Amino acid sequence: MIPILGLVIGILIGVFMEPSLPTGLQPYLPIAIVAAMDAVFGGVRAWLQGQFTDRVFVVSFISNVLIAALIVWVGDKIGVGSQLSTAVVVVLGIRIFTNAAAIRRGLFHA
Amino acid sequence: MPDENTLDEGHVDDQTGRVPKVQPDAEEISGGVTRVSDDPERPGLQRLWYAMWHPGRGQFMIAAMLCVLATMVVMQVRTTNEDQTYANTRREDLVQLLDGLNHESRRLENEIAELERTKAELEYGGDAREVARAEAERREDALAILSGESPAYGPGVRITIKDTNGAVEAQMVLSAVQELRDAGAEAIEINDSIRVVESTWFGGGSGSLVVDDVPLGHTIVIDAIGSPEALSEAVRFRGGVESQVTSTEVGATLMMSEVDDLTVASVYQRQPPEHARPVG
Repeated sequence: MIPILGLVIGILIGVFMEPSLPTGLQPYLPIAIVAAMDAVFGGVRAWLQGQFTDRVFVVSFISNVLIAALIVWVGDKIGVGSQLSTAVVVVLGIRIFTNAAAIRRGLFHA
Repeated sequence: MPDENTLDEGHVDDQTGRVPKVQPDAEEISGGVTRVSDDPERPGLQRLWYAMWHPGRGQFMIAAMLCVLATMVVMQVRTTNEDQTYANTRREDLVQLLDGLNHESRRLENEIAELERTKAELEYGGDAREVARAEAERREDALAILSGESPAYGPGVRITIKDTNGAVEAQMVLSAVQELRDAGAEAIEINDSIRVVESTWFGGGSGSLVVDDVPLGHTIVIDAIGSPEALSEAVRFRGGVESQVTSTEVGATLMMSEVDDLTVASVYQRQPPEHARPVG
């Protein structure tokens, strides 16, 4: 229940307070979102398997976001920014789908 | 870096140091877990339902992270909706794009200047037409009054001649009218019914005067609109109509009053000229 509240509060903050990133960081926001989603899915799956620790979850959330943004930033500097961004999104997408499948098995088959 | 996301489940989990088992041993069921929601052996849905109504500390962490995630998503959605990215275009393309936009901008500026010129011309033309139209209206009003086609009102004089002896001649009335005209009368009316215009004629012998085919009785009322001072002077000067009609030979009486708001209501029905045409 509380995580759902957290989600709703996040949406409300986004809609009403209209925060904005500094323009230098704005291109990296989409990749950060996908990395964060990956961490969240991974966390839910770990919880369903009884392996959830909040410390690990928070660290993995933050580090996923930072590392994904770092990879894309380095890619921009060396000129393969859009390709690396695509690659990162593809890999994160694969992991999200894998975790989602595990969640589904955990919820409906165990 | 510790991470729950592993792609295959047989991999050693470096957090707990053991291989996660699909089937638990008996020891593991009894030890360790105290909450329904943390017990991996329970059905997932049951755990989920339990966890919803029994919040634990971990849930706050998750809530915080979801909050951040949701905020980021909303920000990005907002940016995507309003943003048109040129982020991936090459430098040469951007330069060309800029050139094209500059040309377009110059062309549009020229068009704006052209349209503004046209607008100014039309406005001026409209103004000039407006002025001409107002002028034409003024002249029409003035001419209507002077030509007798429109009733008029204004300051003036009212002259009443009582011809008790029937000795007033048409010539006297005519010269009275002429003197009034010379003094600037703009509308003249006789007996409140006959408008005097340039073609008005006076005839008949004394005692049976006729103006424009209308017989006059023994009381002749002349209304004239103009400057009251000038008009009364035109009547009273030595040799004018007053001295003529009040002379002992004629013996009529003349009364004149200066009026501030005299109305000349009668009009003259004018026919278009039969022979004359305007020049030009």
